[in-house]
Amino acid sequence: MAASIAGVFTDELKNAVETSKVLVVGAGGIGCEILKNLVLSGFKDIEIIDLDTIDVSNLNRQFLFQKQHVGKSKAVVARESALSFNPDVKIVAHHDSIIKPGYSVNYFKQFGMVLNALDNRAARNHVNRMCLAADIPLIESGTAGYDGQVELIKKGMTRCYECTPKAAQKTFPGCTIRNTPSEPIHCIVWGKHLFNQLFGEYDADNDVSPDTEDPEAAGEAGESALKSNANEQGDIERVTTRQWAQQSGYDSTKLFHKLFHDDIKYLLSMHNLWEKRRKPTPLKMDELPDAVAGSSKDNSSEGLKDQRPWSIVECGQIFSRSLQSLKNKFEKLQSKNKDDHLVWDKDDKDAMDFVAACANIRAYIFGIPQKTRFDIKSMAGNIIPAIATTNAIIAGLVVLNAFNILQNQFERCSSVYCRLQPNHRGQLIVPERGLIPPNTSCYVCRDSPQITVCVDVNKLTVKELEERVLKSLLNMVQPDAMKDSTGDVVISSEEGEMEGTYHKTLAEMGILDGTVLSVDDFVHNYSLRVIINHKEAEHNKPDIEIVGDQSQCQPKAEEKSNGGAGEKAEEDDDDLMLLDEIEESTSVNMERKRKQDTATESPVSKKPRTSDVIVL
Amino acid sequence: MVEINSNELTDAEAEQYDRQIRLWGLDSQKRLRASRVLIIGLKGLGAEVAKNITLAGVKSVTLLDDDVATQEDICSQFLVPRDQIGRNRAEASLGRTQNLNPMVNVTSDTTAVGDHPDEYFHDFEAICATKCSTDQLLRLDKICREKSIKFFCGDVFGFFGFMFADLQTHDFAEEITERKPSSSEEPAAKSLKTVKTTVKRSATFVPLQNALDVDWTVEPYSKKLKKSEPSYFLMKILLKFRSEKKRDPAPGTRVEDMEELLKLKKEVLKEMSIPLEKVPDNLLSLVFAEVGPVCAIVGGVLSQEIIKALSQHEAPHNNMFFFNPERNLGHVECLGA
Repeated sequence: MAASIAGVFTDELKNAVETSKVLVVGAGGIGCEILKNLVLSGFKDIEIIDLDTIDVSNLNRQFLFQKQHVGKSKAVVARESALSFNPDVKIVAHHDSIIKPGYSVNYFKQFGMVLNALDNRAARNHVNRMCLAADIPLIESGTAGYDGQVELIKKGMTRCYECTPKAAQKTFPGCTIRNTPSEPIHCIVWGKHLFNQLFGEYDADNDVSPDTEDPEAAGEAGESALKSNANEQGDIERVTTRQWAQQSGYDSTKLFHKLFHDDIKYLLSMHNLWEKRRKPTPLKMDELPDAVAGSSKDNSSEGLKDQRPWSIVECGQIFSRSLQSLKNKFEKLQSKNKDDHLVWDKDDKDAMDFVAACANIRAYIFGIPQKTRFDIKSMAGNIIPAIATTNAIIAGLVVLNAFNILQNQFERCSSVYCRLQPNHRGQLIVPERGLIPPNTSCYVCRDSPQITVCVDVNKLTVKELEERVLKSLLNMVQPDAMKDSTGDVVISSEEGEMEGTYHKTLAEMGILDGTVLSVDDFVHNYSLRVIINHKEAEHNKPDIEIVGDQSQCQPKAEEKSNGGAGEKAEEDDDDLMLLDEIEESTSVNMERKRKQDTATESPVSKKPRTSDVIVL
Repeated sequence: MVEINSNELTDAEAEQYDRQIRLWGLDSQKRLRASRVLIIGLKGLGAEVAKNITLAGVKSVTLLDDDVATQEDICSQFLVPRDQIGRNRAEASLGRTQNLNPMVNVTSDTTAVGDHPDEYFHDFEAICATKCSTDQLLRLDKICREKSIKFFCGDVFGFFGFMFADLQTHDFAEEITERKPSSSEEPAAKSLKTVKTTVKRSATFVPLQNALDVDWTVEPYSKKLKKSEPSYFLMKILLKFRSEKKRDPAPGTRVEDMEELLKLKKEVLKEMSIPLEKVPDNLLSLVFAEVGPVCAIVGGVLSQEIIKALSQHEAPHNNMFFFNPERNLGHVECLGA
């Protein structure tokens, strides 16, 4: 180990390396590489935590794992492999989530520094706040394909992870998904929603049937459509998709006919929608075209199995087959527990087949190019490509910065970016000039932070305030909230304490335009003043907006569309990160989301930020 | 070793390489799995390259080293088990390298580079040389030029490291991203959309000799000298140390080696007519043993260049990369062209 051999390091560094205690959060692509560098450098006291287990698709880069480890704890196997490099190190492995309450501020305080090697924003936010509360230096890192970055976060000295708003998570208006898709991704999102409608956790926001409230359809069209529809079906009551499917016994022909014929006919009756659009073509299961769009059948033998385009007939067959498999799994679950449901997983064959088939059938109906199962998996599963080399480079930089921290040379820890191609100065591994100071209006790391939230106080419930605003958007774990003026408790982290009022709207609780809430999260040792700003909800517009401490309502970070197309962040198993802003286009291909020239000469304006997950 | 006969990837390969195929495409992966790579020198940097190249899924990796693993290697050589210090490095690294990826054919060779005839090297698509003398590097580059083999070399000295590539004439596909107005009819999606297109390009490289013989007193180099990094000159000093002492600066002989380095610095810079302050003395104190994290950085860049060259995907770095540990700066420079 470098520290144990006299003459490699200075005495100061050697002693610091041998006596410091570090926490590595994440044992994935970057985590494995960091752990190797730490034990080779001579660190003697390391803890590593990861809740994940090993998957085959990790093995191209997470080099501490091998095929026989698939399914085992990443943290535990990483520890075993690293110990074989250096048996004299003390490594404690936790197969666990860092967000669990046991990993308290006091737990963090025992470390000299924390090295993040995470793959999702929620955990990054959490560790950021824990390190701020414990006043421990944090090295944040991430990669996406050829790009990567490393950044020091130190309270009062640098910006924190939440000082810069992260790129908004991509959402689509509900009526685009339900009525007027124009891109493959719209059909893929619809397919995932359909899966959830049939087998998943029920969410009224993610309906897949035609949206009669589409403002574009404007009144009369929807009305008449509803009538004609009612006549045809002889039933004016609209039932949920799941009820409908259950009543039909998940009969694939009937379900196909409803989804891809009747619902499309219904959409066609909303004439206004099609004045400037190509009309969709209703499909019948026994009349599906056999041709493969955009390719002759000859070249379909090349490439990966998943990259072979499917004809619509095939899509229909795969639809039926996967539907029946999923139905059987679902019924088996429900026979044990009536409230149980399936969870969509890109690595579950039937779930993936189902979404790919549905997306392509719908794409065909709307004249949208179809995609291969391979491509649909990338888009539906938010897969961030990941390679060994970028992870190795980034982890090397992380541990060099750890050396700087140990020698109290924080000024040498400016952020570093790794690129596919050199910038105009020939720099491939690009350091910022100096540390970036904290954002003085950051609602997380500044003193007495506050934030303005624009909501409809007559619609938003207390429960929604807790779940969607405080937990989901403001990343709190166990918030307590009270009215600043009266001290009345509105939300309590004590279970059951406020249950009686959770269904009430903010207005009913006396929370109106201008009301200030004092919110505390004891997990993060964090307090925030939340100023409520009333704004009437509009169809297909975000119903919650976060605006820092400015007075006007402008979207800042994530928003959730009330049209229901918004999806929760789904993390892949990689050390992912997204450089720079997300563009407005509707494509979700990760690689396109990087602005290529993320040069970092100007630390103030054009710099990339660590962000991460993209969402359909 | 799984026997692979077909040109198509097996399901097992598709599964294991999924995350990289999504980055560089199926064709790149197919080119990689047809490539034989020779890695010369299995110290810290060689181990990093062996790891990354084996993980990427080439056809075969040959580990060549005639020396034995030493105590110093434990700073960065994670492929040699601790109880095998004293054994030949290539042999001792074989087991762990093979375990990284059973689908790659990994072999070891304990012959000295100089004892192999030229023909030996003809059986590789790429050669990556570390820990070699300048004379050996020049010989290898010449052999590679004759047979259109992709040549790479690099070294890590303490916290400092560099690499060089000679791909001769190299054709590759590059993905260009353009922003175009979205074709969407949706009024909401009025914005720009990025469109990716693949273009075929070609790059020409110069022999190693040219890169090592750069005259910094004449244009265009004289103009760049003031702003240039000290790395190139530090490399020249270190290669000279290796030629003269037949070894690298070692932590065990740190004091005398520092003196030698200071002496060589004066000689080398004087010979090149470069002011002495171009290479600060404190840089010379950072070049002992191979520091693990730096092997990871330089090895990461070097491996990625080998992968890019073999897969003919993305523009290669033409022709040198240097890592300056004082600034965490890695830069690419074209020298001798």
